[in-house]
Amino acid sequence: MTGTVFDIGYQRYTGIREGRGRGRIAVFKDGIRTALGFGRGAQAKVLPWFFIAVLAAIAQVMALIAGAAERIAGPGTAERMNLPSHSDYNGIASIIMFVFAALVGPELLCRDRRDGVINLYLVRPLTGSDYVMSRWAAFMAVMTAAAWLPQFVLFLGLWMSDPSPLDYLAKHWRDVPRFLAAGAAMAAYATTLALFVASFTTRRAYASVFLVGVFLITAPFTIGLAMETEGALGQWISMFNLTNIPVHVNDVIFGEESEITSEAPARLLPAWVRVGWYFAWTIVPGLVLWSRYRKLTP
Amino acid sequence: MSHNGDLVVSGAPAAAPVIRVNGVSRWFGAVVAVSEVTFDIMPGITGLLGPNGAGKTTLLRMMTGLAATSTGTVTVFGEPVRDNPPLYRRIGVMSEHETVYGFMKGREFVTMMGRLRGIPNLEAAVDHAIGLVDLADAQHRSMETYSRGMRQRMRLAGALVHDPEILILDEPLNGADPRQRVHFKHLLQQLATEGRTIVLSSHILEEVEQVADTVLLVVNGKLAAAGGFRAIRAALNQRPYHVRVICDSPRRLAAAVVALDSVDAVHVDPDGAIVVLSRNVLDLQIELPKLARSETITLRRVEPLDDSLESVFGYLVEN
Amino acid sequence: MLSIYQLTLRQLSGRARLLILVVLAVMPVVTAALLLAESGTDSVSDFDIGVLSAGLFGSILPLVVLAIAASAFANEIEDRTLANLTLSPVPRWRIALPKLLASITIAGPLIALSAFLTAHIGFLGEWKATIAVTVSAIAAVVMYASLFIWLGLKSPQAVGVGLLYIVLWEGFFAGFITGVRMLSIRYYAIALMHGLDERRFVDYDHLSMTAAVVMTALVIGGFFFLSVRRLRRMDVP
Repeated sequence: MTGTVFDIGYQRYTGIREGRGRGRIAVFKDGIRTALGFGRGAQAKVLPWFFIAVLAAIAQVMALIAGAAERIAGPGTAERMNLPSHSDYNGIASIIMFVFAALVGPELLCRDRRDGVINLYLVRPLTGSDYVMSRWAAFMAVMTAAAWLPQFVLFLGLWMSDPSPLDYLAKHWRDVPRFLAAGAAMAAYATTLALFVASFTTRRAYASVFLVGVFLITAPFTIGLAMETEGALGQWISMFNLTNIPVHVNDVIFGEESEITSEAPARLLPAWVRVGWYFAWTIVPGLVLWSRYRKLTP
Repeated sequence: MSHNGDLVVSGAPAAAPVIRVNGVSRWFGAVVAVSEVTFDIMPGITGLLGPNGAGKTTLLRMMTGLAATSTGTVTVFGEPVRDNPPLYRRIGVMSEHETVYGFMKGREFVTMMGRLRGIPNLEAAVDHAIGLVDLADAQHRSMETYSRGMRQRMRLAGALVHDPEILILDEPLNGADPRQRVHFKHLLQQLATEGRTIVLSSHILEEVEQVADTVLLVVNGKLAAAGGFRAIRAALNQRPYHVRVICDSPRRLAAAVVALDSVDAVHVDPDGAIVVLSRNVLDLQIELPKLARSETITLRRVEPLDDSLESVFGYLVEN
Repeated sequence: MLSIYQLTLRQLSGRARLLILVVLAVMPVVTAALLLAESGTDSVSDFDIGVLSAGLFGSILPLVVLAIAASAFANEIEDRTLANLTLSPVPRWRIALPKLLASITIAGPLIALSAFLTAHIGFLGEWKATIAVTVSAIAAVVMYASLFIWLGLKSPQAVGVGLLYIVLWEGFFAGFITGVRMLSIRYYAIALMHGLDERRFVDYDHLSMTAAVVMTALVIGGFFFLSVRRLRRMDVP
C-alpha cells in the first residue's frame, strides 16, 4: 500500500506579484497614516488633529459670525460689513497650515532616513523618485483636505445662514472652485517647502525649527522693512514675506485682497508676477527635493 | 538560590543576596510586561533566558534602576536601586541598544565612562578595560567606524572600567563572531571567579549553559523556572527523560527494559536505536547495564536526548 | 560635570546647524541697519515692537534657544544614549546643569552679540538702551533654555510643543490677552528691559522690575528643578 506524506512547511508564494504601482500606492497610504498619526499611539495624533480642529473651528466661528450678522442686521450685512470671507479665511489659514506642515511634514521623510528604513523601500521595485513623489502626494492630500474641509464648513455655514439660500448659491457658487484652487495652491506650497527642508536633515526637530524660524522671521522683518521703503524695492521686499506668497495667489484667484495682504506693498505688483513668484517658490524647491531623492540607492 | 513560584530549586543556603527582586510587576497601559516576579541573585553568573517579548529586558531595566516597577521592589546590596546614583559605582551595565556616541573615539568613550564614576588612576583603568576586551588596536578610531561586534566590546569596556562588583549584560553576544564569543566566555568566567555577580541575558542557550551557574527562565512576563538547569530539569517530573540507546539487539533490549519500574515507555526508532522514557534516570543508569549483561546485549551508546538547557527551555516555553 | 558639559557642546555644535543659527542671529542686526539707512532715526516705538519684540525676542531668540536646548536631552533620548549618563553615580542635578550650561554657552554669545549690535545700531550707539537690551536678551536665553531643557526631557514632541508655545502662546494669544503676558517669558524679558531703561516699551503695562527679576529667577530655578525631578523619575530608554 502506498502513502503520501504532505509537507506543509515552508511554501513559496505563488500569488500575483505586484509591481511599482502597488509600491507607490503603499508608500502613499503609509504617508497619510504617518501624517495623521495613525498606528503610532495617542501622542502622535495630538499635533495633526489639533491643527485640523483649529482650522475647522476658525471656519465655524466665521460662519457663525456671518450668520449672526445677517440675522441681526438683515441680508447683505456680511458683505457690507466686509466680514471675513473665503478669501480672508485662506489668509488666516495659510499661517496655520504652514506651521502644521513644518511640524508634521518632516515626519514623513526624516524618520525613514534616520533609522535606515529608506533602504527597505529602495530594495523594492521602487525608485527614490517614486518614494518621494508618493510621500509628497500623501502629505499634499492631507494638507489639501485640511485646506478644503474648513472652507466647505464655512460655505455651508454661510449658505445655510443666508435668509435666501437659493439666491446665495446663485450669487456665490463661483466661490467653490475659487477656494478649491486657492486651497490647493496653499497646500502645495506648504507641502513642498516642508518636505524640501526635511530632505536636508535626519532630525525632524531641526527641520521644524528651521521652517518655523524662517517663516516667523521673514514676516515681521519684511513687513517692517517694506513699510519704510518706497516704490518697487519696497514691493519686492514685501514679496519675501514667505507667509504671504500663497496668499497673493489666493488674492489673484478671488480678485480681491484678503485681510492679511491688504497692507502689503506686494499686492501692487501685477498678478502674473505674484503668481510666477509663487510657482518659483514651489517648483524650484520641489525639483531640488525630487533630485535629492532620485539619486538615492539602497 | 531561592524563590517562590512554580519551581523550587535547591542551592546553598544563603549569604545575603546581592540583588533581590521582590514581587515585581510592570505594566504599560493594558500590557503586563512582567508579572509578580521574585528571585534573589548571588555571586557567580546568572543567565536570564526567555523568548522574545518575555519581559527579560524590562526586568533587567528594573534591576538596573533604569525603569520603575509598577509594584514590588528591587534592592541591590540591600539598598533600593531606583533613584540611588551612588550605587552605580558598584554596578556596570551594558544595555541591548548599541548606544554609542558615534563622534567619539573608543578610548574617549571608555575614559568618559570612567570619569563619570570618579575612578582613581583613570588612564590605567582605561588601558586595563580596553585590554580585557582586546580592542587596544582600535581604541583611537572613532566608534562610527567600528563593526557591530567592536562596538559591543567597547561598550563592555565602558561597563568594566570602574571594576564593578555587579555586571548586568543585556544580549551582550549580539553581533559577536565565534572567536569573540569564546573570548567573552573566558572573560566572564574570569570575572566571576574574582567574586563578581554577573547577570547575563541571552538567546544563545549553549553559551549560557556553558557559563551560567544558575538560570532564570522568564516566559510571558512570569518566572517559569530558576536555579541550576539540571535541577530544573529534574523538577520537571511530569516530563520523562528521553534516553537513546544503541545496541546490537534493540528489540530484545526494548522488551526487557520496559519491565523496569523506572521506565515509562520505550519506542524503537527506524534506524534501530531505542528511546527509553524514564522519570528516574538515576535508577535507569544502574539497572540498564545490569539488564544488558543479563541478556547478553552489547550496549554501544547511551545518550540523554533532553538533558540540555535548550530542551528545558523548550518544555517550559511550550507550556 | 565637565565631561558632560564637553560632551554636550560636541553634540550640539554641528557646523551646518551653527551656520544656520548664525544666519538667524544676524537678521535683526541687518534689519536694524537697513531701517536706520532708510529712514534715519526710526520711530522708537515701531523699532521696539517690530524689531525687538516681534523679531528678536519673539522669533530669533526663542527659536535659536529651542533648537539648541530642546536637543540637549531630546537627542540623547532619541539615540538612546542617555543611559550612559544616568547609569553613573553622578547626582541628577549634575547631569542637568552641564546640559543647561552647554546650551547657554552656545546660544548665549550668539544672541547677546545679536542683541548688542541690533540695539547699538537701532538706538544710535546709546549705551543705556544697548545694555538694557543685551542684558534682558541674556536673561531670556537662560529662561528659555531652562524651559526647553525640561521640555526635551518631558516630551518626545518637545520641539512641536515648544514651537506652539512660541508661536501660539507668546506670539498670538499674548498679543491681545494681557493676562497671558503675565505667564510669558518674552514679556518677562521685556519687563526687565523696561526696568533697566524706562523708555523701552513705554506703552506696555509692565511687571515692576522686582517682579520681573523674581519671575526670571522662578522660571530658571523652577524649570531646572523640574528637569532634575524628571531625570530622577523617568524611565530612561
